Amino acid sequence: MSYKDLEEKMNQEKIAIRYNVVAEGAAMKAEDYPEVKEILPEEEPFRTISLEILYEDKINALKDVKKALDEGISPIEIINNGLMKGIDAVSTLYTKGVYFLPDLMLAGDAMMESVKECESVLGRKSDTKGTVVCFVAEGDPHDIGKNLILMFLRAGGYEAIDLGRDVPAAKVVEAVKEYDPIFMTGTALMTTTMTAFSKVVDALEQEGLEVPAIGCGGGAVRKDYVESMPMTVYGVEAYHTPKLADAILNDNKNWEDLRKEYSDVVGEFVSEYAS
Amino acid sequence: MKRFTKMEYESPDEMCFGFAKHPVKTRNGLEVGAGYVNPIIKVAPKEGSENSKESMVSECRNIAISACQRAVNIGLPSFILEQEHIAQQTANPDWAGECTQAQVEVLEHFQDEYGIKTALKATPADIRDEEKGSTYRTSEQYQNVMESIEQCCENGASIICIETTGGKSVSDYGISRGDPRALLFGIGVLGSIDMEFMWTEIVKICDKHNVIPGGDTNCSQSNTAMFLAGGLLDKDCSHTFAAIARGIGAANSLVAVECGAKGPLKDCGYENPIVKAISGVPIATEGKNAVCAHSDLMGNLIAGICDCWSNESVYHREEMGGTTPEVWLQATGFEAALMNTSIETGKHKDLRDLYTLTDKYRDPQALILAYDNAYRIGEAIVEYGDDPYRRSIAAALEVCNIITEAVEAKKMQLTRFEQDSLESAMRSFKKLPDDSAKFIKRANRRYGRKVEDFDPKNYELN
Repeated sequence: MSYKDLEEKMNQEKIAIRYNVVAEGAAMKAEDYPEVKEILPEEEPFRTISLEILYEDKINALKDVKKALDEGISPIEIINNGLMKGIDAVSTLYTKGVYFLPDLMLAGDAMMESVKECESVLGRKSDTKGTVVCFVAEGDPHDIGKNLILMFLRAGGYEAIDLGRDVPAAKVVEAVKEYDPIFMTGTALMTTTMTAFSKVVDALEQEGLEVPAIGCGGGAVRKDYVESMPMTVYGVEAYHTPKLADAILNDNKNWEDLRKEYSDVVGEFVSEYAS
Repeated sequence: MKRFTKMEYESPDEMCFGFAKHPVKTRNGLEVGAGYVNPIIKVAPKEGSENSKESMVSECRNIAISACQRAVNIGLPSFILEQEHIAQQTANPDWAGECTQAQVEVLEHFQDEYGIKTALKATPADIRDEEKGSTYRTSEQYQNVMESIEQCCENGASIICIETTGGKSVSDYGISRGDPRALLFGIGVLGSIDMEFMWTEIVKICDKHNVIPGGDTNCSQSNTAMFLAGGLLDKDCSHTFAAIARGIGAANSLVAVECGAKGPLKDCGYENPIVKAISGVPIATEGKNAVCAHSDLMGNLIAGICDCWSNESVYHREEMGGTTPEVWLQATGFEAALMNTSIETGKHKDLRDLYTLTDKYRDPQALILAYDNAYRIGEAIVEYGDDPYRRSIAAALEVCNIITEAVEAKKMQLTRFEQDSLESAMRSFKKLPDDSAKFIKRANRRYGRKVEDFDPKNYELN
C-alpha cells in the first residue's frame, strides 16, 4: 500500500489527539476574564494604562504614561495603580494558560519602559517588594531561563538584579554583599555546570553570608543534586519564582520550608515534589 | 563554497533510513548511510568529573568501556560513540585530546577483540560568548575551540561535529517574543554567516588529519524554540512558530555541508531530514530513544530517513538495567536492529512510512519533518540556494504553506494561538524586501538596539 493510501486509511484519533485544541474554550477578550476584572482598576488614566500593558501596547502605554506625568499624576500612583495592575493581569492570564510567553515578554517590555519613564520623573528607583539576585551558573552560556525569571520577578513587583551568564561564585558573593537579597536564583542547562551551585554555597558560607533560599533550576539540573547542599531549593518553573519570593517575604519561609512546602507555596501540583 | 541550488534526490520516495546518496566510511571501516543504520550512544560526564583532567579522562574512558561491553553483550554489529565535550574540555584542549585518546583506545580494543565496528564522534563545545565587543572570531575561546578540534583529530576521533551558536542572542529574543523577523535574522542570516566562518576552518583541520567533518545543527536556536514549545499543553512558544524556526534552521544547517561537512550530521538537528533531502549526506537523528534527555512530539517520525539513531544525551549514572551507556545503547541498538531488519527483508519503505504516519499529525513541528514535506521545504530552499537570506524566507513560507494545507484538509488542528502566530509570521515574511542587504541593514539597526548582546561586528556586518 502506498504512503498516501496508508495515510488515508488511518483513523487519526486512534493515533494522536491534540488535546490543546480539544481543551480550548471560546475566544474571550483578555479584559473579560473574571480574574482580570478583579485586578484592573476602574479609575482613569490607570485603567487605560493597565489595559495597554495587558494588550502589550508599548507605544501607547508610554504615550499615556507621559501624558499622565505631564498632568501631574504621581509616578508612584501610575506604577502601582496602572502599570503593575496591568502586568499582574498578564501574569494571571499566563498562569491560567490563556496568555503565552511572548505576551508576557512584550507586556513586560512595555511595563519596564513605562516604569523607567516614571522613575525619571521620580528621580530614583521606584519602591519594590524586595531584591532578588539572578545568575546563570559559571561555565553556562544558556540564559533564556534566567531571562524568564527576571520578567516574572519584575512583573511580581520585585527588583530583579541580573548578574548575567557564566557567573563565577565570587561575583555572586559580591552581589549578596551589595544587595542583601531576600532570594536568589541560579540556572544551568548542563549537568556539569550545575556543580557551580555548590561552589556558590561554599563561597557564601566561607564569607559567613546567608540568604533565605537560592532557587536552582534549568535544563539538566537535578533535584537530588540541588538538595545535597544547604541554602538551596529546586525550582521547577520560572513562573514559580515570585511565589517563592512572596513566601520568603510574607511568611518568613526559608529553603528548608520551601523544600517541604513547594507545591503549596506555588499553588499547584508539582510532580517533582509529589511524595 | 558550493551552494545547493538543486536537490540531490529525485523524489521524496527515494529517501529512506540507512541509505544516503553520499555515504561516508571511517578509517576503521564503519560506514554511514551505506544501507545500514548505526546506533549512537552519547553520555554526559557526571558532575564532579570536570574538577580535573584526570577525572574527566577516566570518566570518558568508563563511558566507552560500558558502551562497548553492552554492545558486545547484545550482539550489535556496529555503533558510534559520540562524546559532546563540556566547556572545561574545550577550554583546555589538552583535555579534549586525552579524553579522545582514552576513548579511541577502548573502542579499538573491542574492535580488535570482537570485530565490532566502532567510531568516535567528538563534539567540542562552542564556548564562544556572544556579547558586544566579545571578539567572537578571534577570542581565546574561539582559539580553544579550534585547538580542541585539532586535538580530537590528532588523537583518533573518526568524526568531528559541533553545535555552533551564531545568532543565538537575536533568535532567543525572537523566540521569546514571537518575532518572526528576529528569527529569520538570528538563524537564517547571522547563524549562516557564523556557520560558514566556523566550518571553513573546521573542514581545513579535518582534511589535514583525514578525519570526517561530520556536521552542525541548529540546536542552539530551533531546539530552543522546540523545548519552549514543549508538549501540547505548554504555553511558552507557539508550535507553529517552532515549526517555522525549524524550517529556517534547515537553511542554516545546510551551510556546514556547503562548507564541506560530509555527515553524519548532528543528532539533535531535527531539521536534518530537510538537509538530507537537499544534500544527500547521511544524518543522525533522535526521537523516542532520546526521552532520557528531552521530550519531543515526533519520536517515531524523525527516524524515517535517518542513518544513525541516537539517544541525544543522558547522565552517566546507574539505572536498574545497568549504567546509562549500557541501557541507552541497548535502546538505540535495538531500534536500529528493527530498521536494519526491515532493510534486509525489503520492508524498509513500509517501516519508514509507519514511523512517519505515527506522528505526522501529532503536531505541526512533526508535520513539516515528514519526509515528503521535508522534501518540499528542501525544494523551496534550493530555489534560492545562493542566498541564505532568501532561502530562509522560502523555507519559512513553505513551512507555513504545508501547515495551512493540512489545516484546510482538516488533517491538522491548531489552537488559536498557533493559528494566529502562523498567520502573523506569514504576513511578516511576505512583507520583507527581496534584497538581503536592505533587510540586514534594517535588522542590524533594530536588533542592535533591542538585543543587548548582539554586536554586528561579530558577523563582520559593519
